[in-house]
Amino acid sequence: MVWRWKSALPEEIPTERMERNPLITREGIRTLNSILKNPHAPVWNYQVGDRLRAEDLPAVERFRKSLFNRSAPLGAGIPANIIELVAAMRPRSLVFMERIPEGASLERDWESIPTMSREDIVLRIDDIVPLDADLSRMIVYETSGTTGHALDVPHHPCAMAKNHPVLEYILAQYGVAPGFGPDVTACLNVGAEEHTVVFANVFSVWNDAGFAKVNIHPGSWRREGDIHQFFQSLAPLFLTGDPVAFAQMMKWEIAARPLAMISTAVELNPGLKARLEERYGCPVIDYYSTTETGPIACSLPGEDALGVICPDIYVEAIDDDGCTVAEGEVGEITVTGGRNPFVPLLRYRTGDFGRVVRDERGARILDLKARQAVSFISSSGSMVHPLDIGRTLRLSPFVQSQFIQRRDKSIDLTIRPAPGESMGEGVIEERLRFLFGVDQVIRVHMDENLGKGERGGKVIPFICELGQAL
Amino acid sequence: MNTKQEGPHLERLTHRLAQCPGEFLAEPLIKSRGKVDTGAVVSDTLMDMGGNLLSSEESNTSFSSEKADQKNRLRLILIGAWLCHDEWLIQKKKYAEPAKKWLASGLDGLASLVAAELFVTDPDRREELARLLLAALDLLPTGETEAQASDRLQCLDSVTRDKVIRQTREKEKRARKLREKMAADAAREAAAKVNRE
Repeated sequence: MVWRWKSALPEEIPTERMERNPLITREGIRTLNSILKNPHAPVWNYQVGDRLRAEDLPAVERFRKSLFNRSAPLGAGIPANIIELVAAMRPRSLVFMERIPEGASLERDWESIPTMSREDIVLRIDDIVPLDADLSRMIVYETSGTTGHALDVPHHPCAMAKNHPVLEYILAQYGVAPGFGPDVTACLNVGAEEHTVVFANVFSVWNDAGFAKVNIHPGSWRREGDIHQFFQSLAPLFLTGDPVAFAQMMKWEIAARPLAMISTAVELNPGLKARLEERYGCPVIDYYSTTETGPIACSLPGEDALGVICPDIYVEAIDDDGCTVAEGEVGEITVTGGRNPFVPLLRYRTGDFGRVVRDERGARILDLKARQAVSFISSSGSMVHPLDIGRTLRLSPFVQSQFIQRRDKSIDLTIRPAPGESMGEGVIEERLRFLFGVDQVIRVHMDENLGKGERGGKVIPFICELGQAL
Repeated sequence: MNTKQEGPHLERLTHRLAQCPGEFLAEPLIKSRGKVDTGAVVSDTLMDMGGNLLSSEESNTSFSSEKADQKNRLRLILIGAWLCHDEWLIQKKKYAEPAKKWLASGLDGLASLVAAELFVTDPDRREELARLLLAALDLLPTGETEAQASDRLQCLDSVTRDKVIRQTREKEKRARKLREKMAADAAREAAAKVNRE
């Protein structure tokens, strides 16, 4: 049963909330308050809205239609809409300009276009953002650093809102069509970290349906048992979370009856997927998405492959030299296009590897080797999530890092600092001791060549040699 | 007073570029894909210009690549080789060495900015390439002074034009504004996401 806040309606919607949710309705504020003031609510530590404006809604609707009414399969070759997008971006973005010679034939010379990587986003974001971009509504996401390396990615609220139709489309592939409205909680996003943001929100594109990001960590709740009550009272239509958090949900025996669970951020182990499906009685969907690219692909019913979802991205598998590998061969997953108006992507190397095949249904990714789930052990034996390590590291500017916990539990951290930036090794060491314990052996190394010469220019950021499994 | 020697008429070279045959515009060999061995074409051209065959090291280092992003450079080298094979230059039998140097590295900047075939199809780019070759061989187009040749090349110079675009003060101002915007609290609050990525 959905828990409802019984207090009187506020006369006016607070100004701060209007800035965060410009389109929020009175019903929406009631839903939001019902979540925020739920007696079993977690300790909220963040406020954020969807920042969506009325002028954004037609664009979101057009995108929704393009997803659901997609008639032409993505097929072989580079789709015309991608060629158009790239051609249009060439005069607007210096990164496109320098990679595509004047007068080049994009269809013919596609493979010879130099690739982009996260190093470009770290070091040259001003050359990527289109020259005529309106920065007034820019927002910034700090990537988690769970699987890659922490970086800041500028984004736009309208582009973010388009991820909602993507989720609707994915759910529809499993026969799930949630009815979104102000009286329901659309989704709970579940984390399991030492420190993370915990907040509630409503989404205008989902008729002010409720949402909350929660943390399955004792420090995030006021009383034992609250988390169980909270899940029960909100009765979310579906859940999102990473496999670590979903595994923790089962361990804590949290009851829920979602229509679906969408696993993100790191690779979903088939064994865990099966256990979750049995425990929660719903499909568990593997969702491949990165902050830089947005949604790329998701698992489809009855298939081993991940289906490429959005028609406005082009996915290739390429080799170290930038050549597209033969269909079905393993290569680095590379993405062109996307809907982030500040970070247009041109053959962007994700650092993940897999096989890409195309058939009448569109592009599929097989054997994706990406986003390996990993966790670490503190000197006291408690689990340390790579997100917490990433958060600690991101306080300093760097290009890449590699964090390795050895068999003897000691830690080797190698950092490639950003050019011209100095890093305080001692400070980093000290911060890591907060997570791992004062007696933890930690060695911090600086290496300006870290990642150079590696496949895709990227090292594996987190390695645990202890043989932990989720 | 001109210190450089007079070379062929410019129009002779630009006309030659416009007549570039399909073989020189075909795909260069990269990783067993493509048709034309750039090193072999350059080697033959240099021989005809009175020079020596390329060593395999020279051929591998400067005139072949496994990297897909080198395709335009190799294509431009092929067009450059076609230009070098002009009868006036061949007959002199003394320009093989500077031509080799030009083909090996003198076209790199240009190749990253302009598609090779534009040096065949576009009149300004044809003139730019012809003038660049003459400058690399220390020659002046027939009837031009050094000052005239230099001025005209500057007007056409794609590499310099690109540098100007990149180094404008506007660009610096914009980069600063972007960084400030990205650092602002309002931007960093971001917008709620349904899922983590």
